[in-house]
Order: sequence, then C-alpha cells, then structure tokens
Amino acid sequence: MQGNHLRELYNYRQLIWAIAWGDFKWRYKNSILGYFWSLLEPLVMLVILYIVFSNLMKVQVEHYQLFLLLGIIMWNFFVKATSYGLTAIVGKPSLVLKVYFPRDILVISGCITAMLQSLFESLIFIAFMIALWIPISVNIVYLVYILSIYFIITFGVALALAALNVYFRDIQFIWAVVLQAGFFITPILYPLSIFSPELQAILRLNPIAQIIVTARDSILYSIPPYSVSLAYAGTAAVIIFGIGYAIFLKLEPRFAEEM
Amino acid sequence: MLVITVEHLNKEFRIPHEKRDTLFAMLTGLMRPASYETFSALKDLSFTVEEGEMFGIIGENGSGKSTILKILARIMRPTSGTIEVKKTVTPFLELGVGFQYDFSAVENIRMYGIIMGLSQRQIESRTDEILEFAGLERFRDTKLKNFSSGMQVRLAFSTAIQTDPQILLLDEVLAVGDMEFQKKCLGVLDTFKKEGVTIIFVSHDLESVKKHCSRTLLISHGEQVMIGETAEVVDRYQRSA
Repeated sequence: MQGNHLRELYNYRQLIWAIAWGDFKWRYKNSILGYFWSLLEPLVMLVILYIVFSNLMKVQVEHYQLFLLLGIIMWNFFVKATSYGLTAIVGKPSLVLKVYFPRDILVISGCITAMLQSLFESLIFIAFMIALWIPISVNIVYLVYILSIYFIITFGVALALAALNVYFRDIQFIWAVVLQAGFFITPILYPLSIFSPELQAILRLNPIAQIIVTARDSILYSIPPYSVSLAYAGTAAVIIFGIGYAIFLKLEPRFAEEM
Repeated sequence: MLVITVEHLNKEFRIPHEKRDTLFAMLTGLMRPASYETFSALKDLSFTVEEGEMFGIIGENGSGKSTILKILARIMRPTSGTIEVKKTVTPFLELGVGFQYDFSAVENIRMYGIIMGLSQRQIESRTDEILEFAGLERFRDTKLKNFSSGMQVRLAFSTAIQTDPQILLLDEVLAVGDMEFQKKCLGVLDTFKKEGVTIIFVSHDLESVKKHCSRTLLISHGEQVMIGETAEVVDRYQRSA
C-alpha cells in the first residue's frame, strides 16, 4: 500500500465510516432487543463455557470468568471481521459494478463494523472488571499496541478472504472449518500452561494466541508482556497484512468481471 | 480542452469452457490447463470528448456501449489501450446504488450522497431540497421498503443530481419513470449542460440523442462504425438497421 493510496483512503474516510456505521445499525435494526442482542451473545457463551469448564473440567485460573470473557470477545472480533470480509465484495454487487471507489474500502468498513461490535461487547467486560474490583496497572498501555496489531492481522486475513471469495465460492465453507479449529487451538477456554512445553511452543506459533495471552496479562494480571511475544506478533502482523494485501491487489482488477 | 482521450482501447472478456469457481475445482484442474475463449467486447476504439460537450454513444444491444462507460468509470480495466480522463467522473449507471430498504429516506439520502461523492456537510444542507425535488417531504422518516418503485427512483435521482459532476456518465437511467419525471430529468440535463458539465450519454432513444448530443459514436459488435455529427451518425445507424 503506497502513500498515495493511503491519501486516497483518507479522502474516502466519510464513505468508510458511512458503510461501517450503516452496517452496524442495520445488523440490529429489526431485532426487538436491538443493540442488546450483541451483548446477549457473548454473555450466553460465557455462562455456558464457564459452567462447563470451571465445574466439569476444573480449570484452575484466577478470575476465570474474565479470562474467558476477554478470550471470547477477542476471538469474536476475528470471527466477525473475517466473516464480513468474506462477503464484503460479493455481498455488495451494486457498489462494485455500478460505481467506483477503491474496493478495499468495503473490507476496511467490514472490519470497523466488527470493531464497533467488539467495543460494545467490551462494556460487559468493563462492567465485570468494576464489579469484581480488579485492579489495573500501567501495563494496560500495552493494550494499544496489542489491539492495533490484532486489527492489522485481522484486516490482512479479511482482505485475502474478500478477494478469494469472488473467485472461489467454497472459500466460505473452508473458512468456517478453519474458524472452528481456531477456536480450539487458540487459548480462549484454557491457559496454555495446561499443555506440555513442546505443545505450548507449537500453539504459540499462532499470533492470535500470543495476542490473547498478552492482552490478558496486561489487563487482568498486571503482568508486563514479553518483548519476544510483542515482536513475534508484530512481525506476524506485517507478514499477514502484506500477503493479504498482495492477494487483494492481484485479484482486484477483475472483480467486476467475475461477479 | 479535451477532457477524455481514448486511444486504441481494447477490452477482452475470458469465457472459460468449464467454470472453475471453487477452490476444489481449481485444485483438481491444476493438471489440465484451463481452456477458454476470448470475446472481444471492444476493438480498437479511439475517440476524444471536449469539455462541456454532450457526447452520445449508440449501437445495438450488446455492442459494448455500457462496457465503455464502465471502463471510463474505472469499474473495469481495459485489456489494452490508453485512457486519459482529466476531471472527476460521476457514473449514473444505476440509480440508487447502495440503497438499503430498512433505512429511512433521510438515511438513504445520506448514504447514497456519500457514495456519489458528496461530503457530509453538503448532504446535510441539501437534504430538504432533495426531498422537495422528489416530492417526498412528507416521507422523510419512512423506510425505503414502504416506498413505491417510482418513489424510490425519484429519491435516487434527486439525490444523484445533487452531486456536482464534472464528467457525467449516463446509461439509460432516464428510461425509468413516467412522462413527467422524464421531463424533469431532461430539464436537469439541460441545466448541467449550461453549467458546462461534460456528459457521455448512452441511449437507445435516438430522438433524445439527436436533440442533446453534439457528436455521437456509433459502435457495432465492439467496433467503431462512425463518429461525428449526431444527425449523420443517427442517420447511418437507422439505415443500417
């Protein structure tokens, strides 16, 4: 992505926001509970998983409900943003076939919609933090870096999926399976420490695992993150974003013909 | 000043013999090279458009008229050839792009306006005018899905003309709506012309083309048949038909 493309995107900022906000509103427009649906979903998941894992599986983690909730909210962001990415191009044919603007705008907007939903879901998390009177420390500033990295990784994946889905319509089924598997190999339900060191090393290759672990450390446990983790996640973000954008740019010229 | 210069424009579409639109199909087909035919939609077109001119494009169905507009609008890329466009292009290929039926008239005006390149502030200040022109003042908070199709078109058109186009691409969008609406549309076209907007007009309505366009391009099967004074070009088209 070159400088003048960034400037072009900046000129389209009102459009990016309009699409993102429009989709956000649209998703809750026709439901009785409105925006509160989006709070209900992670809450229900939290209750079920909490009961199952703390009672049946006897997971021993400090502040397990918050540990779980943060994992769920963060993972949900990835699931939503990449799912919106999948349909960002194919789901809005008239915007691709009848007008012109840089097409990555549709993917950015989708990621922002997901981000708005996640920010909203975070209200529950904040409420829990306050209710349980969990102290926070300066280590929370790392969160800015971690979440930015997370957004870039997600955006890169969403770009690739958006472009590939125009050409290969079975990508969405493959992606559903990947997300399913990702939910279990990412430390959302459990701490990595339940595994042997060898297995932990393998699971840590997943940058999202590093991100979720680091986020928990900095918010819940006031532990400064390992610089190795930060560096690894940052490098992964650059690579994933680069590959995602390269795929998108390669396939973008023929979107209008393939749809 | 020339605002559009098109030289040796070619556009080919690939039509695969066997459609590989899944990853599975592509992987199983890796051994056999994909076979396809190329279809030339546009062949070696060259033309220029002057600033402030209304330029017509006519030809039978499937001759490539809309493809030209899509390439000028950057929606599609040419296979070869050069296109130089000096000003911003506003495509009216379809009215109401991005309309969402669950949203109210005002919300849709805002969305559509931004898609058409208006700023938030311009939209705010023109919303009343748009609703008035469309004759829909009473329905500002009504959801679009409760509008008749005629009302939707009016709303879309009234919003679209609020964009300040420099080069306008018009593709048969005026063919919708009743007589009175069409008259209104042509009135707006005249205003645009007076303001010096360059207009590319694709139409089957030869009378309108004759009346409004100074020069016209006739294409047939993607090839340039004739370009020049509208009356002569239309005459040639009618004789060949």
